[in-house]
Amino acid sequence: MAAQVELFLQTLIAGFLLGGLYALIGLGMALIMGVMRIINLAHGDLMMVAMYLAYWLFTLLGVDPYISVFVVVPLLFLFGCALQKFLITPVMKVESILPHNQVILTVGMAMVLSNLATVFFTGNYRSTPVNYASNAWYLTDYWKNAPIELSLSMPWSLSFLCAFIITVALWFFLTKTDTGKSIRATAQDIDAATLMGVNTNRMRMLTFGIGSALVACAGCLFIPIYYLYPALGKQFTNIGFVITVLGGMGSTEGAIIGGMILGIFESMTATYVGMGWAPLGRFAIFVAALVFVPGGVASLIRRKRFGK
Amino acid sequence: MRHFTFVATVISIFILAICTTQVLAQEARFAIPLPLTGTNAKFGEIEKKSYEIAMEEINAAGGIKGRKIALEFEDSQGKPEISRSIAEKLIDVKKQPVIFGEYSSSSSKAIAAVAEERKVPYLVVTGATDDITQQNYKYVFRMNPTNAYYAVGLLSLFKEVVKPKSIAILYESSDFGTSGAEDMAKQSEKFGMKVLVKEQYEKGAVDFRPILSKVKAARPDVIYMVSYVMDAALLMRQIKELRIDANLYAGGAAGFAIPEFIQNAKEASELVMTATLWSPQIKYPGAVEYAEKYKKRHGDYPSYHGAEAYSALFVMKDVLTRAKAWAPDDIRVAMKATSMMTAFGPIKFEDKEGYTNQNFMDTLVMQVIKGKHETIWPQKYASAKYVYPIPKWRERN
Amino acid sequence: MKRYWPYLALILLAILPLVGISSYTMHVLILVIMWSIIGMAWNVLGGFCGQVSFGHAAFFGVGAYTAGILYHHLGISAWWGMPACVVVLIAVSLIVGYICLRLRGAYFALATLALGEVCRVAAENMVWFTQGNLGILIKERTWVGKTWYYYVILLIAVGSYIFIKRVIASKWGYYFVAIREDQDAAESLGIDTTFYKTIALCISGVLTGIAGAFYMNYMGYIDPGIVFSLSDISILTVMVVMVGGVATFGGPTMGALIMVFLAEIVRSTPKIGAAHQTIFGILLILIIIFLPNGVVGDFRKIVKFFKPKRTRA
Repeated sequence: MAAQVELFLQTLIAGFLLGGLYALIGLGMALIMGVMRIINLAHGDLMMVAMYLAYWLFTLLGVDPYISVFVVVPLLFLFGCALQKFLITPVMKVESILPHNQVILTVGMAMVLSNLATVFFTGNYRSTPVNYASNAWYLTDYWKNAPIELSLSMPWSLSFLCAFIITVALWFFLTKTDTGKSIRATAQDIDAATLMGVNTNRMRMLTFGIGSALVACAGCLFIPIYYLYPALGKQFTNIGFVITVLGGMGSTEGAIIGGMILGIFESMTATYVGMGWAPLGRFAIFVAALVFVPGGVASLIRRKRFGK
Repeated sequence: MRHFTFVATVISIFILAICTTQVLAQEARFAIPLPLTGTNAKFGEIEKKSYEIAMEEINAAGGIKGRKIALEFEDSQGKPEISRSIAEKLIDVKKQPVIFGEYSSSSSKAIAAVAEERKVPYLVVTGATDDITQQNYKYVFRMNPTNAYYAVGLLSLFKEVVKPKSIAILYESSDFGTSGAEDMAKQSEKFGMKVLVKEQYEKGAVDFRPILSKVKAARPDVIYMVSYVMDAALLMRQIKELRIDANLYAGGAAGFAIPEFIQNAKEASELVMTATLWSPQIKYPGAVEYAEKYKKRHGDYPSYHGAEAYSALFVMKDVLTRAKAWAPDDIRVAMKATSMMTAFGPIKFEDKEGYTNQNFMDTLVMQVIKGKHETIWPQKYASAKYVYPIPKWRERN
Repeated sequence: MKRYWPYLALILLAILPLVGISSYTMHVLILVIMWSIIGMAWNVLGGFCGQVSFGHAAFFGVGAYTAGILYHHLGISAWWGMPACVVVLIAVSLIVGYICLRLRGAYFALATLALGEVCRVAAENMVWFTQGNLGILIKERTWVGKTWYYYVILLIAVGSYIFIKRVIASKWGYYFVAIREDQDAAESLGIDTTFYKTIALCISGVLTGIAGAFYMNYMGYIDPGIVFSLSDISILTVMVVMVGGVATFGGPTMGALIMVFLAEIVRSTPKIGAAHQTIFGILLILIIIFLPNGVVGDFRKIVKFFKPKRTRA
């Protein structure tokens, strides 16, 4: 019996920590989708770029990945702004039969980014083996006669904490500052925002920059607990848009909750159904969300709030 | 008029393209298909570098029948359908009389099918899934041991030293992983080991802890993992983190046998054993020299795949020297008669136990002792004594 | 003149093998023709009906596996996969349609992407049914030489082209375009949009599935990573059509020519080969920005670009 409880709790903890990380990835994408109505399929590759930067900082200069956040994030912010200004804006102006060109544009960007990484850095797996990589806090160290053994991984917890702090900071930014409010206005109704004097073009640029910065953060927090290779962007882009849809397009609170749900759901599926099915579980939940709750978690919150 | 220009442009592009592909047909060298990009790029690179070292040595000694070899590498990106196209190109366009190369099981399988169909001999160098040489193919030869025999050394260690009663098997969902796991499961039954957990995971998984917690709850004697590179390191790190205490951690694939495993898993890799086909310390002729030469040039010891590639070229040299002519059927006859010793081990193609043209050789077990891979079993090849039983995680420091 | 060039192209293609081209070139051409079928199929749903699908690998893979499973489990020739997959793919399309067609635009695209991946993971895991990652291998392909495969696929391509042309020229075609331009307006005019979207989806799915069954027969080896691949099948389909020309008849063929042929040539070039994805990514971006309707759709723009500019003296 104790073994089953231990299994459940350990899975729950794993899911929780995973969810925190996922939320950070989804947050950036949700923001971009909300403001610019773009599905950024290059999102995961931006994370990959950030991870390579963090890797080289670690390998060449010995900078711990958690510290390199302070360098990598602003760099990716600028990179994101540049991408928005020079590539995405021209596409949004173009007249074409299908309005899906921006999605395809991001696909093109993703291809270029991941292939350039392969060409310059080779397909070799890289990692930043920090000393505390497999350290953890153990329940039995603190509670000597515990019936079960639970472990809480140090780097994962650290990443979760950072993700939490950043999310709170973002919330402050979006609700309390002028720029943040302008961004939300642009997301809500771009024409009205323009009429009210918001520089919507700049807001779009900033949003893409912030979205990139967020995912860069996730990357730096992630590299000590995982590893790096040029093609890793794809699976995180998938995770990103599953969370975005789950949480409700464009909703930041939704993305956070969506991330947590996804993390816990995946862990539970891995343990109780079978690990090979976990990726399918991810997509199954995605399709289910699209079909049954198209507005995502956010719409559920809204409904509750307005007492529908 | 506009439309005529359009049609003319299309037709000219067409013709240009056809001419280009025809031109590509006129070179006469050995082209080797390998995954130089994609997920297996790392091993493709190791094999490429090993082929090149072998080529230099053979050319320095005069080449084959006085002719110097030139090698070209075709990137299959790790995709079987591209390997297949490359094989067809080599046979139809470049008129190469023999094919050798490729890394993954699925790519080797695809090329084997083409080779048998076109009656051109194919030497499998690394692809390990059993069914490649179980089809009664006359033209396909394999020098490396198959998945079923991969863990023979490890199993004998189990039988004589470890004597486990239960086993948990984790494997990546590739062709190699699936067949490796199936074989271990079959062997476990024969041995009287109960298979408590058998789970596949997708390569590149981020978090193994849910499945590892399940393994922990099952309390197996041995945890056997068929994993590559980073998954292997991540698995051991998370096993250490979760403090899963098994009597033995054993790997069944190259992921555990390469230096990166130790670099990435650090303390978590200590005392992990792995089945392997070759090691840089083994006493086959030329093995140690090759390993040291590779390390000097490229910074680290090669994996056993490199040794396979290196030896493959020597096998080809031997075959081509004995062949009456460099035509597919003559080469096939010569290959069938091969019996030689290489840096990878003895090579002789036999038809037995349901396999055709398969090489059978001893497989080894390595263990990470004090941060270094040592060969520990069978004892006649050992470079150090094995460490068993192993201390629990809590007691280690 | 415009009317005749499809016939010219067809005659040219038909006599090529008789003229004598290398087996390798024929292989590339077979792939080009197969991709033009997939492109045309996608175009029915995407270009003409406006529902952009990022998950066509699902249909392709199901078609390939239908043929493969018939061969592997029932021991009959994989060619039976082609008629069989008509039925199977209609069923699959109906299911996909039921789940996804209620969604619009970007949501639909993402949902199809997800379904494609679901199929892939399912195929990997259902080892008892699909052999998982061990793949399905046909021990003896029907013909060793390529010529007959070439004619088979050419026949299928011609059949698809004629069929699609007829459908689009009919009332259904008008309904599709109406739905693409403004779904709500169409609905309010009394067009049953869900019904017509489903029809478009079924046509698209069946044709793609037939191409998949052909692939199984021709290549002789499939596994989930190949036929259900997101980037190699689904996204390539979108690129083929986008590059060639959305909502045109010759577009997918042109796109297949560029993407497949060019891909082979670039990949074979020694130095540049490794960077071919970069080149294609850049090509894609440029086409999206400057030629959003594809090479065929925006052909006038290309012509204008090359025409000598007249200046006032």
